[in-house]
Amino acid sequence: MSHPRLTGPWLAAGVLAAAALMVTACTSQSSTTAGQRVDSGDWDSVLAQADGQTVNWYMYGGDDTLNGFIAGYVADRLAELGVTLNQVRVTDTADAVNKVLGEKQAGRSSGGSVDAIWINGENFATGVQADLWSCGWVRGLPNSRFVDFTRPAVNNDFGTPVKGCEAPWQEADSALVYDSDQLSESDVESVSSLLSWAAAHPGRFTYPALPDFTGSMAVRTILYDTVGGPDSLTDPFDEDAYTAAANRLWPRLNAIEHSLWRGGSTYPRSQAAVEKLYSDGEIDAFFTYGPGAVADQVKKGVYPDSTREAVLDGGNIGNVSFLAIPANAEHSAAALVLANILLDPETQLALYETEGIYPAIDLERTDKQTQQAFADAPRSLSVLPLSTLTQHTQPELGSDYVTRLEHDWKTNVLQQ
Amino acid sequence: MSFSSSRSVPRGLRILLLLTPALVVVAVFFVGGVSQAVAQSFGYQPFLPSSRWSADAYRSLWHDPAVRASLGLTIRVSVLSTFLAAIIGVAGALLIRRVGSRTWAHAMFQANLAVPHLVGALCMLLLLSQSGLLSRLSHATGLTSGPADFPELTQDRFGWGIIAEYVWKETAFIGVIALAALNRGVSELEDAARLLGAGAGQRFRHVTLPALLPSVSAASVLVMAFVAGSYEVPYLLGRPYPATLPVVALEYYRDVDLTARPQAMAVAVLITGVSVVLVAAYFTLTSRLVRREL
Repeated sequence: MSHPRLTGPWLAAGVLAAAALMVTACTSQSSTTAGQRVDSGDWDSVLAQADGQTVNWYMYGGDDTLNGFIAGYVADRLAELGVTLNQVRVTDTADAVNKVLGEKQAGRSSGGSVDAIWINGENFATGVQADLWSCGWVRGLPNSRFVDFTRPAVNNDFGTPVKGCEAPWQEADSALVYDSDQLSESDVESVSSLLSWAAAHPGRFTYPALPDFTGSMAVRTILYDTVGGPDSLTDPFDEDAYTAAANRLWPRLNAIEHSLWRGGSTYPRSQAAVEKLYSDGEIDAFFTYGPGAVADQVKKGVYPDSTREAVLDGGNIGNVSFLAIPANAEHSAAALVLANILLDPETQLALYETEGIYPAIDLERTDKQTQQAFADAPRSLSVLPLSTLTQHTQPELGSDYVTRLEHDWKTNVLQQ
Repeated sequence: MSFSSSRSVPRGLRILLLLTPALVVVAVFFVGGVSQAVAQSFGYQPFLPSSRWSADAYRSLWHDPAVRASLGLTIRVSVLSTFLAAIIGVAGALLIRRVGSRTWAHAMFQANLAVPHLVGALCMLLLLSQSGLLSRLSHATGLTSGPADFPELTQDRFGWGIIAEYVWKETAFIGVIALAALNRGVSELEDAARLLGAGAGQRFRHVTLPALLPSVSAASVLVMAFVAGSYEVPYLLGRPYPATLPVVALEYYRDVDLTARPQAMAVAVLITGVSVVLVAAYFTLTSRLVRREL
């Protein structure tokens, strides 16, 4: 036996290298063929295809009341049409987008495991950047007739044109939640009065560290107040306008820092953490995108009875959130059925009644009975009426501005 | 049936064939994963049209204050947690051996082995935070007048909350390993040393410790590598800044801007590097100790 032989270690290394190459080769082979196309225009065939499917809906899962509504009402409505709902709760919508991205990267152009995502803003823009979404299906939904597509908030998602790649289903108008035993009505009149109250009561106010969705809104609320609204920050991204606005914002945020929770040396990690601080009595006020859900928390005794809401002078920030369907979704028919059920005036009314979530549809387009039901929905003392919340709503900034603010907040405020 | 035919297969190939299933798993999930991370950290992003190969990610990490602050915190938390868990674990094991191997003592010592770190972190939050159980007790007894009076033990600058969770959890792990090592005839050796006139201190230094060191240091290495790379505990108990490297890596990974992906992977590669360095340093240190003791 004189022929050269590969010895153990070398062979092992060879196998490892070959396998690693194989993995890399497989993942780099990204195919561009479109997934199984479902035409929302032919609704009967959508219903026929959806019957028997399971829709995997990835959504932010931090809201217990909403989770209950989805698992109850929405799942029941889907079941009537033979669709099973699998609600996948994520702590950050970016995780769901990353999953779709990972599958696309691995060459999975159909049979994807994510059928629908509750989404808006930067996460939607990320998906547009990587061409992840199925588009052009929204107007085909029978219930899309209730949507006012001329509204800027429905057509532009944080500055990114929607182009039929996601269907609206919720409207979120921000508000300040506060304990009326600690803050008077004059304290919550404007951003300035709130910040001077905070300065007089050190440690009793804070907002979540950016890039938290709500923390980002709190900072933009202060930004709007500082520069007089969003009008100077126009799309597309304008570096000079941004710098001018940001240079006025950071000193103001740093000036109030020492009067925030923990002396501003750190910030809570998430909106859930902020809400826990409020329910534990560590802080007395916080910003929220979900003012309707506050009623439920007061009823459960999580928040004190003296909890109230305010819209600060200069208006509150509002946005619409959507349902997006990845282009590689395996059960896109079932996802379309889900999107349609969410836009149903009955669903929108039930959402408003149970969770205080504002309708994404135009109430004028619904029948008289539905309009009356919305007007008659009981409202907690702690919660502002729909009209007050929507009266002075300011639009969101373009997602380029939002992303920059979130990055620069870290260097200019958090790390200072 | 006999397997004598396998004799005709060359030995190297036979070993390789037997190892193949294990090697494929290692290759796909470990080597494959790490090489993907390294490739992406150098800008390999086939899903973006504008991606190109470069070391920009590493250059930007070097200038990122979040990463710089994170490096110190990560090393501090890993080293301190491991060190404290090792000392308390060994002390606990020695104590249990002294009271006799009673089942209740064993059970109490190992009770938290089955508790997931996530649950442990939440428990620490409920116990140690400024509105937690300890703070409420101190308020009830008049020691503090409100949440803000209670010392910051979670989301603190030093990382005590994170260290507390790891020490609480890993002490049991190292203790179990130490107990197992102590059962391997160490008592006989100690008795022999006593007969030869060794005092308690001498017996501990020259008999017990050398018997414990190999397995305890191996366990410590596992703990240290785990702590350096784990995410949920520092996420729940730590600050957004400075945060440990795994938290920073995931923050980059979740960045809505896909061009931040190479930075995320570069941090992941950095974590791998830190773990390897820590483990190497620990091995060098303990192997020297063992040699000196023997």
